[in-house]
Formats: sequence, C-alpha cells, structure tokens
Amino acid sequence: MKKKILIVGGGTAGTMTANNLAKKLMPEIEREEVELVMISDSKNHYYRPGAMYVAFQKAAGHEFVRDQRSLLMPEIDFFVDPAVEINTKANYVKGKSGKLYNYDFLVLATGCEVAAERIPGLVEGGDWFYSYEGAKKIAEKFAKIKNGRVLVTVNFPKTPNIPHQCGIAPVETTMMLHDYLTERGVRENIEIIYTYPTKAQAVENGLFLQSPTSKVLPSVFDSINVKHRTGFTLTKVDPAKKIAYSEEGEEIPFDILMSTPPFKAAKVIRDSGLSKAMDDEGWLPTDKKTLKVIGLKNVYTLGDTVDLPVSKAGGTIHNQTDVVADNIAAELRYGYPTESYDGKVIAVAQMGLSCGMPLWYDYEEDVQPTPCSKLGSFMRLGFNKGLYWAAARGML
Amino acid sequence: MNDKVQIAKSAEMQLIEDKMIMLVQTGRIDNLIDLLAVISDNIEMTTQPMVEKMVNTVDNLASVGFVTENAVRFAKRETAKNSVPSLFGLLKLMKDEEVRRGLAFMLNLTKGIGKQL
Ligand SMILES: Cc1cc2nc3c(=O)[nH]c(=O)nc-3n(C[C@H](O)[C@H](O)[C@H](O)COP(=O)(O)OP(=O)(O)OC[C@H]3O[C@@H](n4cnc5c(N)ncnc54)[C@H](O)[C@@H]3O)c2cc1C
Repeated sequence: MKKKILIVGGGTAGTMTANNLAKKLMPEIEREEVELVMISDSKNHYYRPGAMYVAFQKAAGHEFVRDQRSLLMPEIDFFVDPAVEINTKANYVKGKSGKLYNYDFLVLATGCEVAAERIPGLVEGGDWFYSYEGAKKIAEKFAKIKNGRVLVTVNFPKTPNIPHQCGIAPVETTMMLHDYLTERGVRENIEIIYTYPTKAQAVENGLFLQSPTSKVLPSVFDSINVKHRTGFTLTKVDPAKKIAYSEEGEEIPFDILMSTPPFKAAKVIRDSGLSKAMDDEGWLPTDKKTLKVIGLKNVYTLGDTVDLPVSKAGGTIHNQTDVVADNIAAELRYGYPTESYDGKVIAVAQMGLSCGMPLWYDYEEDVQPTPCSKLGSFMRLGFNKGLYWAAARGML
Repeated sequence: MNDKVQIAKSAEMQLIEDKMIMLVQTGRIDNLIDLLAVISDNIEMTTQPMVEKMVNTVDNLASVGFVTENAVRFAKRETAKNSVPSLFGLLKLMKDEEVRRGLAFMLNLTKGIGKQL
C-alpha cells in the first residue's frame, strides 16, 4: 500500500519540509510507494520578514510573494484547500472543500497569526509590522511623522516560556526606525521609547528574552538615544487619547504605537483539541527532540505553531526541517525516528538599515551578542532577496 | 614595565607574535597586507543595490536550476515508465493540460530568445 504523507500549511516550514521529504524519499517515490500531498489556505507564499522592510519603505512588498506551486518539486501534489478539521483518530484532515485528506504521516505547519484583538484598544490604537497590511499602514505613519513619540511594546503569550513571533524583531525594528528617522532628518524631534514586559520567558525585568543580549541592550540603545524601560506589559490602549496602559500600572502617551502584539496558532489547530496552551493560544505540545506532537505516533510539527521555547523564526525552521524529514523517512524505512533537534537557531539580525549581526544558539547556549557589520547586512540582504527561496525549495 | 608586559602575554599571544615574525622575515607580509586592503576596499565599495542585483542573478540561476532539474527527473521517470509512443500516441500526450502548458512555455521561450537575436 502506498504511504501518504500530508503536509498542512504552505509557509516556510511546510514548503521546506515537503521539498526535503521529496528529496529524501525519492527512491520510494520512484517505486510509487510514497505519495506527498500539501494543502494550504493560499496559492501564494509569503516571505514574512519582508514586512519589516515594507514598514520602513525599503521594499514595496511584492518582492516577497511567490506562487506556492513554483516553490514545490513536481513530486508534491498541491491543493489550495484550507484545513478545517484534524482527526488524529481516523487519520484525516478535512478541507474547506469538504474533501478528506487521509494520511499515514501528518506534518502540521500552519504557523501563527496576529491576535491584536486580545488587547483592548490595540486594533484601533496600535500598529504592527507582523503582516503586510500592518506594515503598509505603519509605513505611512512613519513617513509622515515630524515630531512626537514612538512607543515600542512587546507582548508575550500567556502560556509560560513561549516566545512571540521572531524574538529579535522588536530590537531590529527599533534600530531600523532610528536609522529611518535619521535618514528623514526628523530623528531629533522624535522620542523613541522601547519597553519590555516584566516577564519574558526566563528573563525578568530585562529588555530581551535572553539574558546576555538583555544585558548589552541598554548601552546599545543609549548610544542611539533610544529610551528604554522594562516592566511594561501592555494591557490596554486608549485609541482616542493615545495612551498605552501596562499591567504594572503605568501609562505612556504615544503618537505611534509600534507593538509586538499577542499571537495565536491557526484556527484549525486551536479547534483541534490537540493543544493544552493557555488562553486558547493553540500551541501544539511538541516533543523537543523528535518534533512529534506529544501523544501522537504519526503527527509531526515545526515552525511557529509549536510550544517550544526557541524562537518562532525561519532560522529555527531551517534547523528543524531536516529532523522532521529524516524522522519520517526513517519511520517509513525502519519503523522508528532517528534524528533529534538540538534547539539550534541560526539567523542574521537586521540591526538598523545597514548593519547585520549573525547569531546562533540552541537549547543549551544563549545568543552571544556580537557587533553588527556591513558584511552581515549584505548576508541578510542576500537571504531576503534570494537565498530564502533556494532554502524553501530545499536547495540549501 | 617590561616585566608587566611579559606577565600579561599569553601563550597564544606569543604564538601569534612568532607567526607574524615569520611573515615579516619571509617578506610575505607585504602581499598579505595588500590582500587585506583589497578585501576591505571591496567591502567598502560594495553597495546595497549592487548586492541586491547580484543576489537577483543568483536567484534567477537557482530558479532555472530548480525547474530544469525537476523537469528532467520527471521526464526521465515518465519515459522509463511508458513504452515509446506511436505518432498517434504522441498526439494523445498533448491532451494532457500540463503537457500543453509546458509546450506553450517552450514556444514562448523560443519567442523570448528570438526577441534577443
Ligand atoms: C515581521 C517579521 C519579521 C521576521 N523576521 C525574521 C527574521 O529576521 N529571521 C527569522 O528567522 N525569522 C523571522 N520571522 C519569522 C518567520 O517569518 C516565521 O518564523 C516563519 O515564517 C514561520 O513559518 P511557518 O511555516 O511556521 O508559518 P508561516 O510561514 O506563517 O506559514 C503558515 C502557512 O500555513 C498556511 N495556513 C494557515 N492556516 C491554514 C489552514 N487552516 N489550512 C491550510 N493552510 C493554512 C498559511 O497560508 C501559510 O502558508 C519574521 C516574521 C515576521 C512576521
């Protein structure tokens, strides 16, 4: 009997994994013993970090969108059919079309989405760059502002020890904002305040979710005249008065609120009953080594939808995808998984408009911050504008 | 004063000093300094738009490589699976929508080439 592998979600994680599976299982595919199917809710593939550049008018946005089919090897059958139900007892996923997609192995890679509605007033009074629409909206404001205050806030999931999407993004965008306003010649008249919540995963009263970086950030921010304050967990926004309120009882008026909003897993995951996360956030309980959904023998997950403490980032997925693909291939061939994820994350952070900082860490070691450089920024640019697509296609 | 320097110098520093002395004595240091200067100048002279254009070219090449490699593998598999088609069989292949799309692409490709000749 032909074994069927179903991948749900055509984003970074799903695409890399589908192509890697096709490569690794080519002998089985040639012998018609394995079939690969992907379903997604969009015919497009979005390179999500591109939105950061849209926010500072360094890109229009279309550069970061491609036809999903063009990124998949022909051995993968692709259908645009949003998943609406996951049944792990009967081993099928139901599409919006009504079609049932049976599987022997399932990969859940539906990412996460902005949940700004979870903070009263944030939708009306705040902005974020975590979506292309959001980035375009905030870009217009950044292009117009002549004086006043930009307030940066960061919210974490309510479920303990889980990061928000792309941990370094608030720092990156704060530095990009400084450069952008300097470029526009208005920086002197605009105050930037970077705030961070009291509790950020293992760090308390810091400016970042890992201690070594948290410790160097004050001097980095001081050097570019960015005010910084910890102990500010955004809890409410008054859109009319333009005031942000914190759980700790503080209030800060703003002209533009650049927020890292709450996030939640995709609806189909939240509705599946598989998650035990708080507040219906929907993170999938994930075995930190095998990347299987805990309690299920034939379901794997990776990317933004997991409940692991590592960054919800492409640089994480690039290191998870081969573990998932190798484990599924091993299960098909020998009956048990062989690979183990070590928590490795490798990325180049965009520290301002023309400075890049390569970074790496894993379950054991935190990021050791290093000075950013022009070469680093070229590496990042290379990734944004080209290497990403090759990575998604499983070419690197 | 001298003593102090001696104490502060680690075994690693001594090793680096020895290697540097060797480079100076053999005259290689001049070329190496020139090379470092060239690397540094290149970084200095490279701009974001230049990198973007280079990356674009690499991306285009990678895309062509991806499409071609996939298509060749696919064609090999299909050819091996099926017996050599008759003339009529060849025409029947064209009933397949993906075949027609591919053929149209090839014809448009020749037009694209023709435009540049
Ligand atoms: C502004 C910003 C900056 C970032 N910066 C960086 C960075 O500098 N470095 C870095 O490494 N990472 C960065 N990231 C994070 C990175 O983009 C994400 O971690 C990555 O895209 C997550 O991949 P994913 O496949 O899990 O989710 P996604 O890429 O979001 O893909 C999820 C896919 O699932 C599909 N889907 C959703 N629901 C359904 C459904 N019901 N049925 C079928 N399909 C569905 C979606 O259409 C989508 O295709 C950034 C992200 C943002 C937003």
